[in-house]
Amino acid sequence: MFQVENLSKRYGEIHAVDGISFQVRAGEVYGLLGPNGAGKTTTLSMLSGVLKPDNGRILFDDIDLHAEPVKVKQQLGVVPQETALYEDLSARENLKFWGGLYGLRGSELDQAINKTLDRVGLTARAKDAVKKYSGGMKRRLNLALGLIHEPRLVLLDEPTVGIDPQARVNILDVVRDVAKSGTTVLYTTHYLEEAESLCDRIAIMDHGRILAEGSLDELKKQAGEEETVTIEGNFEAELVRAKIEAVSSVRLLSAEQGRAVISTGGSGEGAVKLLESLFGADLPMHGISIRPPSLNSLFLNLTGRELRD
Amino acid sequence: MRTLILMVRKDLIRKARAPLGLLVVLAFPIMFSAIISMAFGGGSTPQVYLLVENLDDNLLGKALISAMSSEQMGEYFDVEIVGEEGLSRIEDGDASALLQIPENFTESIVEGKPCSLSLVRNPAQGILPEIAEQVSLVLTDILDGGSKVLREPMDALAPYVLGDSLDMNAALVSNISVAFFDAFEGVGKYLNPPVITLSSMSVGAEDAEEEEEDEGGAGVFQIFLFVFPGISVYALFLVGDLAMRDILTESEAGTLRRQIQGPVSPGRVLVAKAAFSASVAFISLIMLTLIGWIAADAPIDLLGYLVLSLALILAVVGSAAAIYGAAGKLQRGAVIASIVYLFLAFSGGSFFSIDGMPGIIRLIAPISPFYWGTQGYKALLGQGASLADILPSVGVLSAIGIVLLILGGMLLNRNLVRGGGA
Ligand SMILES: Nc1ncnc2c1ncn2[C@@H]1O[C@H](COP(=O)(O)OP(=O)(O)OP(=O)(O)O)[C@@H](O)[C@H]1O
Ligand SMILES: [Mg+2]
Repeated sequence: MFQVENLSKRYGEIHAVDGISFQVRAGEVYGLLGPNGAGKTTTLSMLSGVLKPDNGRILFDDIDLHAEPVKVKQQLGVVPQETALYEDLSARENLKFWGGLYGLRGSELDQAINKTLDRVGLTARAKDAVKKYSGGMKRRLNLALGLIHEPRLVLLDEPTVGIDPQARVNILDVVRDVAKSGTTVLYTTHYLEEAESLCDRIAIMDHGRILAEGSLDELKKQAGEEETVTIEGNFEAELVRAKIEAVSSVRLLSAEQGRAVISTGGSGEGAVKLLESLFGADLPMHGISIRPPSLNSLFLNLTGRELRD
Repeated sequence: MRTLILMVRKDLIRKARAPLGLLVVLAFPIMFSAIISMAFGGGSTPQVYLLVENLDDNLLGKALISAMSSEQMGEYFDVEIVGEEGLSRIEDGDASALLQIPENFTESIVEGKPCSLSLVRNPAQGILPEIAEQVSLVLTDILDGGSKVLREPMDALAPYVLGDSLDMNAALVSNISVAFFDAFEGVGKYLNPPVITLSSMSVGAEDAEEEEEDEGGAGVFQIFLFVFPGISVYALFLVGDLAMRDILTESEAGTLRRQIQGPVSPGRVLVAKAAFSASVAFISLIMLTLIGWIAADAPIDLLGYLVLSLALILAVVGSAAAIYGAAGKLQRGAVIASIVYLFLAFSGGSFFSIDGMPGIIRLIAPISPFYWGTQGYKALLGQGASLADILPSVGVLSAIGIVLLILGGMLLNRNLVRGGGA
């Protein structure tokens, strides 16, 4: 239903988005997973029609966003990364305005407001001015404003950033609930666990490009059968590099001061050799962990970096 | 149309929740005019007798004195330069007030150090010292604003002002003009606490509440009508400014961007904001009109009043759109607006009747929309003019309004909306 073709955006020298293409199917939760600066917000800004792409097309049910912006935007709900609310108005008044903007009227609007307030758990505080809300409440209202008109596709830009765990669980529940009711969701995040637990399909993004795409299982397959070993300790990157290169059939995925990740190469033998040489070597380590194939190891494989907060 | 109403309504509710700024702006012309008319109404026109003790014999001290004793101020002020004896003369009830310019006045301003003008009032003279204070406050504000905006150019000038050398070579001149340019670029710091303040105190006993409410009557109203239209026109521009400022507030809050992500075109959002500014200006105008009505003694041409008001509102909204569109940033826009409006108000005769001003001022006054607004209302309220008589005002204001509105719309669109409102 939502098709993005060869989309690009530059800011001066920076290729914020560098020729990405993907499709979001009706009813699915599609994740854009990438670290800070990957180009997620820039992508969403173009998809929501506020930023003009340098290149590429955006189609919604075969209608070009550029050709008929208002018609397409009517079908979208947008939840920006930074909360954007009228602080002098109450939650109900905010919802009333945004609902009205999308064409809801009268009793239909009232029902939508009540339902949405209930969904995000703000019914009890609905009449208070937003400026009196806590950070988590503002985030929930921010989410609500993108859902009030029951859009067919909702674009969510890191809706859980910077809030406490409880509010985060609440927001994730709302997103699941929205998806279950048939709304298509495009969800950007830099949290692996969120992408894994929420999304039907995931695109891994970095430096403005999509590096891999697929369902969680497909992506894990791409990651291969290789376990990864992460070591932490008091060492220089160079030292680890030298030690690991001496071991056959294993691969150093990343090495930095105090932390390195190594792939076992998918064989039990490789894992044993690696551990032997690690313990035999004179490496001051204080932690070691072995992980099954995951999005993180795939990301590492693709970028040489870990996807961490 | 529905969307438009929805957006304007939302803004009006928001304004109603936080009306303080608007109320202050609206109270200003009423109080200012009332004070002036109470002082001058009733036959004789008593003058404010102001003593000035200048301890600063540098440039700005002299400039301040010449401002106070200029021809325009001369309408209301009698200024006498005094020495140390000033204070005792106020205590003796010899004058309305004493303005003291501190020793290091020029130096402080040029170097950006805080300094304070002080005004010693003689309470026995009732309203007159009040006027002296109000005027000094306005002057202080202008000086303070100027000194901040022009901080860097003044730094460049400092050696020349404070020293004796006046070696203005080309390099210096270009340095200074670059510095002035930068000053207008970086006016964000303007919102810092004031550098120059006015401190005021009274001397002597408060007992002498003297005879001042003499015959009054029509005289008071006449003076009121003389002053009120100009100040009201100024206030209306400030009202439009406050309302248009909201588009930047929304841009910074992210709600502008969010609206454009909705099913509306950017142009619609801008039109809605202009309509909101016009609504606020209209409501304000009604409030000011009610007051003007009470004071007017002759019948007023309603049609003329309405048409002139609509033209004025157009000019108000257009000016604000152009200023904020050009500024692109909230703080910069606010500073530019206050400077531009003060300048236009002074040169357009909003504060002081331009009839008594030097020829050069009368020559440039017609470039100011304030001039046309003020003249139009004065004619309608005070001289029983009809729509036909004020058509020039209506025409000029509408033309200014339309041109600026188009220009401002384009600038706002380019600077705010296209950038995603971020
Ligand atoms: N307005 C702008 N002007 C210049 N560069 C920009 C602008 N907006 C984004 N960028 C650059 O584009 C790149 C992508 O930014 P973007 O905000 O899309 O990343 P993101 O994936 O949303 O990151 P985050 O997780 O931090 O929100 C970054 O390098 C950023 O510095
Ligand atoms: Mg982002």
